[in-house]
Amino acid sequence: MYRIRIDRNLCIGCLTCVTACVVSHETESGDARNRVVIDSETTPAPIFCRHCSKPECTYTCMTGAMHKNPETGFVDYDKDQCASCYMCIMSCPYGILKYDSIRHKEIMKCNMCVHRSEDGKTPKPMCVEKCPMHAITLEEVKE
Amino acid sequence: MRYVIIGSSAAGINAVRELRKYDQEGEIILVSKDEHIYSRCILHQYLSGERTLERLNFAEPDFDTLYKVNWMKGREAISLRPADHILVMDGNEELSYDKLLVATGAHTFIPPIKGLSEAENYIGFRNIDDIEVLKDVSKKAEHIVVLGSGLIGIDCATGFLHMGVKVVLVDFAGWLLNKQLDERAAKTYIDAFKAQGVDQYYGVGVDEVRVNGDHQIYEIALSDGTVLPCDFFVVTAGVRSNIEFLKDSGLELSRFGLVYDECGRTSDPDVYGAGDVSGLSPIWPVAVKEGMVAAANMTGHSRKMTDFFASKSTMSFLGIHTMSLGIVTPPDDSYRVDTYDKNGVYKKVVSRDGVIVGALLQGDLAYGGVLQQMIARKIDVTKVKKPLFEIDYSDFFHEKANLEFAYDL
Repeated sequence: MYRIRIDRNLCIGCLTCVTACVVSHETESGDARNRVVIDSETTPAPIFCRHCSKPECTYTCMTGAMHKNPETGFVDYDKDQCASCYMCIMSCPYGILKYDSIRHKEIMKCNMCVHRSEDGKTPKPMCVEKCPMHAITLEEVKE
Repeated sequence: MRYVIIGSSAAGINAVRELRKYDQEGEIILVSKDEHIYSRCILHQYLSGERTLERLNFAEPDFDTLYKVNWMKGREAISLRPADHILVMDGNEELSYDKLLVATGAHTFIPPIKGLSEAENYIGFRNIDDIEVLKDVSKKAEHIVVLGSGLIGIDCATGFLHMGVKVVLVDFAGWLLNKQLDERAAKTYIDAFKAQGVDQYYGVGVDEVRVNGDHQIYEIALSDGTVLPCDFFVVTAGVRSNIEFLKDSGLELSRFGLVYDECGRTSDPDVYGAGDVSGLSPIWPVAVKEGMVAAANMTGHSRKMTDFFASKSTMSFLGIHTMSLGIVTPPDDSYRVDTYDKNGVYKKVVSRDGVIVGALLQGDLAYGGVLQQMIARKIDVTKVKKPLFEIDYSDFFHEKANLEFAYDL
């Protein structure tokens, strides 16, 4: 499967990836599905969904809205099935999830921008394309 | 190999998925009283009409064919003979198994309230059948009293409110959601329910339900002398595990439920347990993981349950969002409390000796997942220089070879 490698040494915290995420998804609220936070040593840390091999967000989902796609390995999210219970927000060990800031209904969940590719399942993350420092790169990894 | 699983909720369904992952050929039989797969956590949305029965389904629509399961729905386990590897079902039908998983869950506890045993117009809030009854009740009843203001009681009250029905809440505890919220966070909900016309009685018990000649409750007497008119009574005062059918099985049972270890093994080597039937950690993610762990071990793959941190919940009643983790009210003044309370956002983190033990987030839950890890893993946060309610993953950042994150300790 594919994951986004994060090289913190290259990241300058410019937030271009966050902007790219907003643009790619055109979410009504303009919320991003990634974030860049600053640690206690003032070093930026890009926080992106890992599409975990053992995804806590799927284990805690009581509607099946959050589920691992066996074909792509990505954790897919079905906003129409979601009950907006927010258990996934609580269960994500790395604090990546939140709800949209207008309706508080939809979980802001990375989909690796598969909606941008022709077959709808190949990852095409805009954050990676736009990062001026190449601090984030798309790589094939073992689950 | 024949696997038999009893129960089609979080633990049972996830056990089936995991069994099929490890064993493509084995026979899997799922026995359930339920005729549909549905999520009990969102029954209030079925009551209110926001969700159809189909949309309560948390599994794949073609679950039984997809996982090659013989699903015996609408069937009940009556007794178990572990020595013979025989499960007896209703109609005295005997079902043999090689490995059995008991994921029968729990049922509504009906407290021994004076008068209740003679009454007919009361029900719990747990099964789809309960909700069908309540849908009907909502059209006729004028005075619905809900006993208990825990997550289920408030789910129930909210479901009714969506239909324009105002229930009356009664709880022995001092405020609603007493296990999850401190007094400050609870007040937000109490005021919001009050504004919606929901009368609430806290710190009082039910002394007696008064029943007429037709076995109908018409009045409820509270311990403080208050008498409430009532034409339907909903009981959400806890649950008890479904272990009745095991009482002569010889399996080890505790006063809470079925006893099994971190691999899901009961006192019989071919019988496993998972989910609410333990009576210990009655929350969805624990049931899911226990089901998966038990299934792995049933197929000979050693795996252990490690995540027993179960005092956690999220809620969004009346559009007010809250996340509750661990100890939210410090028992004494040896704890440090970081709070933020402004513009409808209330955040509180309770810690001691550099370790977070509890947290409340209300009005803004964004990225709150890190807090659960800090509490469950007892991670030392003394190096974190920001307020604890703003804690994030940056100070713990670690990327593994396969690019997953991890807490590297």
